[in-house]
Amino acid sequence: MEVLYIEQTKSTPRVEFNATSGKLSIEGQSYPENAFRFYEPVFGWLENYLNATDQEVVLDIYFHMPYINTSSSKCIMMMLEILEKSHQQGKKVMVRWYYDAENEEALECAEEFKEDLAMPFEIKLTEGV
Amino acid sequence: MSIDLLQIQNVLQRYGVLINFTGRFTQAIIEELGDAVKKYLEDNSTSHSDTHNVFAVFIEQTQNIRNYTIKQSAAPDGERIANSGIITIGRSDEGYFVASGNLIYNQDITALAAKLDELAGLDKVALKKKYKEEMKKVLPPDALGAGLGIIDMARRAKQPVKHAFVKIDDAVSFFTLVVYA
Repeated sequence: MEVLYIEQTKSTPRVEFNATSGKLSIEGQSYPENAFRFYEPVFGWLENYLNATDQEVVLDIYFHMPYINTSSSKCIMMMLEILEKSHQQGKKVMVRWYYDAENEEALECAEEFKEDLAMPFEIKLTEGV
Repeated sequence: MSIDLLQIQNVLQRYGVLINFTGRFTQAIIEELGDAVKKYLEDNSTSHSDTHNVFAVFIEQTQNIRNYTIKQSAAPDGERIANSGIITIGRSDEGYFVASGNLIYNQDITALAAKLDELAGLDKVALKKKYKEEMKKVLPPDALGAGLGIIDMARRAKQPVKHAFVKIDDAVSFFTLVVYA
């Protein structure tokens, strides 16, 4: 599979997805004009990656998003639900969500995403990363 | 043509207006103004949480107007709806507020008012529950937004969200939304 790379802009995060290392990182603020259009390739990539093999899939996701508008939140939730489904099918999925010490709102946002999910979901301070 | 800027300034100051934009919203304008709002608040040593909330409410209000404008772009009143937007960030004795206004079709008032009235009756716990329910709903493929903006603003609001509809003519009314963030 190809590497997915989307450059960061003022209103969209940098997205980097490496199939070889099984790492996906999404970093930056997210409030695009059309969130569904922006996240569509990420959903596509994710589904392909998770379906590419019957063997256990290891996926390590790094989120660092200081601000997310509501329509982007909806997209992130859809992404997390895809991952949760894979987790329930016995695939290995790991979510790590980073937030900056001064940004308590980002911490609350991550905790709210985590609430309804059973897959491994770590929330960490960016310090020392 | 003469323009009485002093009068405009007096009105703006009377309402505590710090930043104001009126006209057609584009994503580029939303981004530039959003940066200006954030920098202004940071320079005035506003707490991170207030800055974050004001910025978030600003984004949801402007994107709601933008989405409504796109939805109505082919309608008979599309042009005047597109040019009717206004967004104001200000400060009063009760704290920062973000207020927005735009023309909407009269037939859209009932549904919008019902949604706002429903949210006005909910406390923060109930608002969170409502937000999560809406978050999990499957969206129609042509959806522009997630329909979550108004709930998100109500959750961030420090006092009940206020709104008003002023009838302009048989087609449209002017909708105002005020959020103390």
